[in-house]
Order: sequence, then C-alpha cells, then structure tokens
Amino acid sequence: MELKYYIIRRLLLLIPTLLGLVLLVFLLMRMFPDTYLIARYINPKSGIPYSVQAEQARAALGLNYPIFIQYFFYLKSLFTGNWGYMSTPIYSGPVLQGIELYFPSTLQLSILATILSVAIAIPLGTYIGARPNSLADQLGRIFSLGFYAMPIFWLALLLQILLGENVIPGNPLGLFPIAGKFSLASIPAVPPPWFNPSTGLTGPTHLPLLDAIIHGDWQLAISSLRYLFLPVVTLTLALLAGILRFIRAGMVDASNQEYVKTARSKGVPEHLVIKRHIRKNALIPTVTILGLLFASLLGGVVVIEEVFNYFGIGVLALNAVYNLAIYGVLGTTFIFGVTLMAANLIVDIAYAFIDPRIRY
Amino acid sequence: MVDTILSQGRKTETKKRHPKIEDYSHTFRLLLKNRVAMVGMIITLIYFAIAFLDVVYPQYLGVSNINTLLSFREPTAVTPLAPSLSNGWYNLLGNTEFFSSQFPLLPICLASLKFDLGYSIFIVAIGATVGTILGSIAGFKGGYSDEVLMRVTDVFYSIPFLILALAFIFLLGRYIEYAVYALIIIWWPIYARLARGQALYIKSMKFVEAATASGASTMRNVFSHVLPNVLSPVFVQISLDLGSIMQLFAVLFFLGVISDPYFPELGNIINQGQSWLAVGVWWPIVIPGIFILLFTISVNLLGDGLRDVLDPKLRR
Amino acid sequence: MMEEEHNQLSEVSKDAYLRAENLVTKFFTSKGIVKALDGVSLTVNKGEIFGLVGESGCGKSVTATSIMDLIPDPPGRIVSGSIFIDNYNILNDLPKLATINVKSETDVIVKRNKKLIKRHNFVISKIRGKKVAMIFQEPALALNPVLSIGQQISENILLHNRVEISNSIIRRESLSESDIEEFYKKIKAINDDFRPFVNKWTRLYAVPEAEEEMENILKSGADESYALKELKEVVFRQKRGNNLSLIAMMRDYYKVEEFLFELTLKLMEAESINDTTAVARLARQIDDHKRAIKARFSGFLFAKKFRRRKYERVFEEEARRRGIELLTLVNIAEPGRVYDAYPHELSGGMQQRAMIAMALASNPQMLIADEPTTALDVTTQAQILDLIRDLNKVTGSSVLFITHDLAVIAEMCQRLGVMYAGNLVEEGNSSEIFKNPLHPYTTGLLSSIPRVDVKSKNEIKLESIPGSVPNLISPPPGCRFHPRCKFKMDICSEKKPKLMTVESNHKVACFIYSKESED
Repeated sequence: MELKYYIIRRLLLLIPTLLGLVLLVFLLMRMFPDTYLIARYINPKSGIPYSVQAEQARAALGLNYPIFIQYFFYLKSLFTGNWGYMSTPIYSGPVLQGIELYFPSTLQLSILATILSVAIAIPLGTYIGARPNSLADQLGRIFSLGFYAMPIFWLALLLQILLGENVIPGNPLGLFPIAGKFSLASIPAVPPPWFNPSTGLTGPTHLPLLDAIIHGDWQLAISSLRYLFLPVVTLTLALLAGILRFIRAGMVDASNQEYVKTARSKGVPEHLVIKRHIRKNALIPTVTILGLLFASLLGGVVVIEEVFNYFGIGVLALNAVYNLAIYGVLGTTFIFGVTLMAANLIVDIAYAFIDPRIRY
Repeated sequence: MVDTILSQGRKTETKKRHPKIEDYSHTFRLLLKNRVAMVGMIITLIYFAIAFLDVVYPQYLGVSNINTLLSFREPTAVTPLAPSLSNGWYNLLGNTEFFSSQFPLLPICLASLKFDLGYSIFIVAIGATVGTILGSIAGFKGGYSDEVLMRVTDVFYSIPFLILALAFIFLLGRYIEYAVYALIIIWWPIYARLARGQALYIKSMKFVEAATASGASTMRNVFSHVLPNVLSPVFVQISLDLGSIMQLFAVLFFLGVISDPYFPELGNIINQGQSWLAVGVWWPIVIPGIFILLFTISVNLLGDGLRDVLDPKLRR
Repeated sequence: MMEEEHNQLSEVSKDAYLRAENLVTKFFTSKGIVKALDGVSLTVNKGEIFGLVGESGCGKSVTATSIMDLIPDPPGRIVSGSIFIDNYNILNDLPKLATINVKSETDVIVKRNKKLIKRHNFVISKIRGKKVAMIFQEPALALNPVLSIGQQISENILLHNRVEISNSIIRRESLSESDIEEFYKKIKAINDDFRPFVNKWTRLYAVPEAEEEMENILKSGADESYALKELKEVVFRQKRGNNLSLIAMMRDYYKVEEFLFELTLKLMEAESINDTTAVARLARQIDDHKRAIKARFSGFLFAKKFRRRKYERVFEEEARRRGIELLTLVNIAEPGRVYDAYPHELSGGMQQRAMIAMALASNPQMLIADEPTTALDVTTQAQILDLIRDLNKVTGSSVLFITHDLAVIAEMCQRLGVMYAGNLVEEGNSSEIFKNPLHPYTTGLLSSIPRVDVKSKNEIKLESIPGSVPNLISPPPGCRFHPRCKFKMDICSEKKPKLMTVESNHKVACFIYSKESED
C-alpha cells in the first residue's frame, strides 16, 4: 500500500524533470539562428515549394512569438510527434520515424547487457564479497577495476581482434562477426514480406532476433544471435565491472555491521547469514548507484553501435552530429534523456522494494 | 571488536577534534602507508612528469607540437611497421599511420599525454571550482537557491553523459577548444551535487550552529566551515575525473565527434590506426589504449586510497 | 590442590548452566597481539542473574562474544579454555581447529583446519540461539534494517524449534468441528465471563486470532448462528490446505535430525578425550541413522525439495503465532502490527523489546545481555530492566548481565563478577561484594560512585582510581592492576594472582588475601 503511494509520488516527480529536459533541449535549439532552424526543418524530398514549407516551419516552431511562448510550441510539437526532419547519408526522413525504426535496437542492447550483468554480478559479488582478501576476491578486484577503467571502444576493438571473424587470419577463436545485425546471406533471394530491403530492417519489432523467432526463421535467428554476441558481451563486461565493485564493497561493509553479529548469535547458518542478512543490505548501495551506471551504459551503447556498426539511435545521433542535422541531435538527446529517466524510475522502485526505510 | 578495544583512546580524541582536515602531514603519512594507492600515485606522477618534460624540454621526447611531429614523417612508406628496436627508442612500439603518413607510435603517444592531461586539469579545475562554490552556497543556504540548483543538476543528470557532450559539442563546434568548453559546461554539476551534499551534512553539525549563533554570516560560514570540509571528497572526485575526462576525450576523438585529425590524442591515434587492422596491424590500437587504461587504473587506485585516508570514519 | 579444585568445580557444576574455564582470547593485529581475555573463569547457575561489571575496555563484551563463540576470525581467536553450556563443552575441539605460530608480536601465522572449523561452526550454530541467546547494546544497529521484526523473530523459531512448531500445527489442526461447537456452547453458557475460556483456548490451541475474533463477535452481539459461522471460519482458515500426515512426517524427520545432532555432540565429546572405541561406535551409529533417514524419509525429502515453499508457509504461519505471543510476553501493545513492522518504525525501547522477544524465541535457557540499556533513555531503561528481571522469574532462564553501571547490578543481580583488563578479579554474591569488597579495584569502583544511603568512613570524599585501563597489547606483568593499586606488593608485578575462595561464595584474585604472598 505504502509502496503504491511511493510509486505515484515518484511518477509525479518525473514531470518537472521531464519539463526541465525539454527546456534544456529547447535552449540548445534556440542557440541557433532562426534561418538555420527553418532551413533544417524543411523536407527537401517533398513537392511543396520551399517558401510554403518555410512558413509552415516558422508557424510550427512559433518563431513569431517571444521565446517563452516558443517553449510551449516546442513542447506541443514534441508531444504531437512533430520532431522535425533530418537528412543524413544513412537515414533521411522525419526524426521520430527514425527513432521508431532504430530505438528498439538500442533498447535491446542495453536491456540485454543490464540483465546479463546483474544476473552475473549478484551471485559473483556475493561469493567474492563473502570472502574478502581471498584469491577469488583479489582476482575479482583486478577484473572489476580493469574493466571499469577500460575505455569501452578499446575493449570493443580488443574483443574484435581476439574473437572477431576474419580479423586475424587463422584465429581459431575468431567466431563472431564484427559488423552489422545479421548476415545478408541468411535472407533468401526473394525476401519474406516482413523484411524491408530498402532499410534493411525486419518487422514488426525491427529486432532481427525477435522478428526471426516470431516468423519462425531459425536460420536468421541464429545468424542475428551471432551478430549480437560481441556488442552485448562488451557492454556486459563494462557494466558488470561497475556493479561488481559496488556489490563487493557493499558486502564487506554490511558484513561488519552489528546485525550480522546478531544473526550469527541466533545460530543462523553461515550461508543464510550471507544470503539473507548481508546480501540484502549490500544490494542497497548498489541499487542507488545503478542509475548512474545505466547512464554510462547508454553512453557506451552509442560507442558500441558505432564500433560494431549495429545501427541504433546512437549511430543516428552521431550521424546527426556529423551532418549538422539539428533536429536529429535534439530528438536523440531527448529520447536518451527519457530512457534514462525511465531507467531511474525503475531503479527507484527497486530501491523501495529492497530498502523498507525508503517507503516512508 | 578489536577496533573498539584499540580505539578507546582514539574515540574521545576524534570527538574533540574540529573536523577540518587539519593535519595534511598526517594524511600524507597515512597515504604513504597504503601501498596500492602509492602505486597509483607513482604512475600518475610519471604521467605528469612525462607531460611536464614534454612541455619544458620538447627535444628529449622528440615531439613538442605538430611541427616537430612532422619531422618524423616518412612520406614514402605508409604501411605501419611492427615494434622493433632497430630504429632507436622511438620505434620501440612500432609505427602507425597518422594523417596519411607513417609515424613512430611511442613519441606520439607520449606527446598526446600533455594535451590530455592539460585539458583534463583545465576542465576539472574550472568545473570543480564553480561546482563546489555553487553547491556549497546552495546547500548551506538551502531554500529557493538550493531547489533551483538541484533541478538544474537533475536535468543535467537526466541525460547520459556522452549524449550531453555530443549535444554541447554540436552546439559549440566540433573542435578541441570548443569541446573543452562543452565539457566544462557539463562537468560542474557533479561537483555541485557533491559539495551540496557535504554542505548539508556540515550544516547539521554543532560547530556551525555555534558559529551561526555567534553571528557569522552565510558567506563566512561557507568559506570558513563548509569549503574546508568539502575539499576532501572534492579531491577524491578530481583524481577520479582526471581518468574519466581522458577517456571521454579518447571516445570523442575516436568517434570523430571532435574533428581535428592532426591533433595528437590517444583516441585519435586509435581511430586513424584502426584502418590497418584488416592486415593484422594491431599495435596502433592496443598500445594507445594501454596508455589510457594504465592512467585510469592508477587514478582510480589513488582516488580510492585518498578516500580511505580522508574519510574520518575509515581513518585509523 | 588440583584435586581440591576439581572437587570444587564438580560441586558447582550441579546447578551451573554456563561454566567458562580459563578462557584466553587474543586478537592478532598488525599493531601486536591484544591479550583481551587472560584466563577468565566464571559460572552462571540455573535461573540466576549474574552481573559482569567493569570499566569500558576491560573485556566484558569480549567475554560475552567468546561465550557465544562469535569472536571475529581474523583477527581474533579463542586460544584456549573451555565453555560448558548445559554440561557440554562447546570448545572441546578447539585445539584441533587451528595452530597458532607466534613468531613475533606482529607476525603471527594462524593455520586453520577448514574442514573441522566448518563442522565446529555447524555444531555451534545449532547451540547458539537455541541454548544461549544474546541481547545487544544498540538495538537500532543490532536489528537488520531490511527484514521485518517478524521475519527476524520467526527466523529464530524456524531454525531451532521445528519439532515444537510441527506439534502445535498438528494439535491445532486436528480439532474436529464438534470440538469447536462444544467449545462455543461452553462460552455461550457463561456469556458474561468468557475471557478465561478464550484465554484457555488461546493457550491450548495457540490461535491468538481466535481470541480477537471471539471478542469482536461477542461484543457485536450478533446472533448465535452467525457467531458460530464466524468462529468456524476462523478455525478453518487455519486448516486450509494443510496435509497433517505430511506435517507429522516432517516432525518425525526433525526429531530424528535432532537426535542425530545429539549423537554428533557425543561423537565430538568422545573425540576430544580420545576415546577411540566410543568414536567408532558413534560414527557407525550416525551412519546407520543417516541411512535409515534416507530410507524412511525419501518421499518426504523429495517433497521437501520440490514443495518446500508450500510447507514453509504453513510453518511460517505457525511461527507468526508464536512470534506474536512472544511480543505480547515482552509487553508490546500491538503485537500484530509490530510483528509486521520494520525496525526503523519502532522506538528504541520497542526495538529492544523486540530484540528480547527475538532472543526468547527458541526458549533458550540462558540470556546474555550485553549492556542492553546503555543506548536507551532513562525511563525506558528501567522498563527494560524490569522486563528482563520478570522474564528471568517467569521463564526460569539464567541471565548473564553485562554492564558498567553498578547501580543496575545492585538492583538486578544475585551474583556478580568484576572484570579488570581481561581478568575476573572478584566474584561472589552481589550483596556480599557491595558490603565487603575485597579486591582493591572493586573497592575503587564502589567508592567512585556517589552514595547517599550508606555512610562510609570517608563520608564526603568521592574517590577515583588513578590511571586508566592498560593497553592490552603490552599489559603490565603479573597482576594487571598493580600499576594502579594502592596496596602494591613486590609479588604483584611478578606473579599473576589466582581466583581464590576467601569466604563461601566469594572469590578474589589478589595477593593480599592469599597465602602465596607470605611464602
């Protein structure tokens, strides 16, 4: 019951942050001159004459009004799905449509990496944290510090060198493709109706693995799984290292607390002391830091998409930057912000679940 | 258990102590005892020594600026050479391709340290100063100013760091100087939050109450009580951030977001060297990465050590 | 001399519940070896409150922690000694657990026998909490913040009292409908005074909810058929889905497990005195029993593995009933609410009550209270002290009460031990010690508290003991008190005084009272 109110309060608190996020994006936009904003708003492919489109753009952005009013125009256009137009070599079209096409892929990478690293980090961190200064602990610390400190693009390149297909000729470990989402060879000459040859995307989720499973194309599913391997492993290693550091520290900290002594004095067997009394408390600081770790993961996803040519909104954002597509930059910034806010909301709810003291 | 026995005498001592970080020499002695932190500190110092040497006596390292770098240019052979000792020390780590020419890897890597460290310190110094002062004042004063600051930092925190950097670099321009300004803009909120949290804690302590009761103004309180106590976590954060900024620069160069192809920077070296990976040339990728990795690890070790030493709770 | 001592001990052990002998505990730190306990012997008899008093840092808490075998290792270890709980020496395998190689004060190599330590910990964990329970100084820190009070209480019950819990489930669930109807008729017959019957019901069948429900029903003045229906529902709510024969089987299994554990204790005892024939016999017996368990309970073990959750729930519900009873026992007003509350939702006094309820959960014969009132405010202190004293009378369990507050000791304890720097320096009836303190340290302690009731010779002067507790890394040789002692003799810095019986029930470790000093 209390938990429900807590969640509602958290949801309400999202609104000011969301408005602030829109304000930041809006201010970024307003740093550019009107003419630039209008010129980039125009869809060159449509048949409507330039002057008419320019007037429409001016109206949509509310440029005739003072800046305070423009903010509300921008807010309105964001929520009505009118996010502007971007034109880059890899994608040209409305920004929102580009995000719809490529956001699932980004989400897939982040979620898979999060699930995998949390699933590995909790048992591993429990094992290591329960044995401070043992050999396993030392190895774990070297591992987590090493991967935590490693630039993610460099880790990706290293993995490409070590495990990448055809990177080093004759490498027996070179099993995994290093670029793309699936092998084009696994698409038959006459492509199935759910495959769009012009964008190279599958339907309906735009995730090759999921779509292949939905449509029962096992060859494509296996192919896309192989292509997914290296990006996910890279992200998982990076995130795992971060989480492991905090779980380990939390375990060591919690095991020195008085309540652990109480538990032992009650005759609770050691494995239950670790699982029930130490670990539950150790997860609290870890969860609080998870939001920040997820933010750095999202940054990592951008890099990974670029290195592995795994087209998602990270690549979209980078290409928007390279090609001066301002609405692409604004749109991707906004959607990354919203994703992080959603992740933080989930983290906050998880926090309330774990720590009863927070649900006041 | 044993701590309580050993600390009988100490406990009473800590209670009486004014919680300013009063004894730097003691702190330093404790840091010297922490072997892991010392390793981190020594490596960090070596990096700074190289950067310093490069600034003062560029001739010893062979590169001071782009023009001297050009003297290594061997326009005839562009294929990178494998590491060897035959051509003197600067070929020790092999050659790489850098702006369409062949360069020895070691001197460029060493030359890039100066830029990386210089810019990192510049960004951190400004970010930390602005953030710490704003955060301390807002945290101490509380009320309206605190609320505004928190909402502003909330917005900064609601966007992943790299994306925020991309957006600001896009706004200011994709060159190294503008990237530095962009990073300063996005870096100060970290310190503002840190200082604000610490200021709230200090504010609740008795000696501040006493100072306020005896008529000290807010500013006086901030500068004589809050700032000295905020400094230790800020130092820890600074040491960690030096590594983060070096990494961020490397990423931005690697992705080509900062488009200064002539600028010697570790990420840039990797970016330009990776085109030869297909023919088995791995060293232009691996070696600059090790430079980044080693620096980040050592500042992390140093930061962890500093935290242990500066935190009165962990102090022994 | 030896024989005499032995006789004396065996005489005491008749009604001793806890007997620690020559307990030596050390901490091997980077700064040196802390000799925290230097041969402490003490006896707590059945049903008595024994007070342990001394300045902070004198080893009171280490004594308690050693008795619970909770010394954190590393850095600490119990080096030698024995602790008899209910006439079983929990440290009987101590010499085999680890070899300690002292090269210098700061360089000590402890070689641990991991396999034996694992078995030792297993055995100890079944004794801790079940036979001896502990109450800690700061309830706010000693209660786990992320588990509810109920989870922490029931954990204890479910660990140690499986057989009792199964019994009470069976007893309650095997009520027939006619039983209930008969019971209800009885209540109806004496409607005015239904309370004793309800209480009897509660006690007999352990259905605390029934009491509340009955009360509500009768207060509301509902008609008979409605009340009967309600009552039936209360009972049937308990019954739902429980397979009694399986519970009975579980009870048998837990019984056999307890029996096996007793055999293990005997085996360890036999091992400690190197009785090889007994060891072989017991080992064979244990093996036989294990095989028999497998044969007899194979179906149940299977069920336990795969349907554990369902039966755990039944046990948890029963533990909840017992937990709520315990909370009522420690005078908590709303036991149901507190049971589901988290520690941070309770006040300090309530937390300490919950802590006591937790310690009582598995019916231990002995409570160790380590300064249980230090962190509480004065009025709450008095309530908690009363509670401990009442519980001591009601449950008949012994209490080892540790405090630095002599006034509390005077009020609470029948017998009392005074500790100084890791040694027990005086032990005896508390009234006797207060009247006639023998050890110079005790004398000093007593004269350092202001008293209005007793007129001593130096009426106004409030004395303090010069100096402070010595550093236990390099304690003074001989008697550890001699640097602060007014009556210091030459022998004090050379030999360590033994605890000697001076009068009946009054022992002291001081050369002033021993013949040794005259030799």
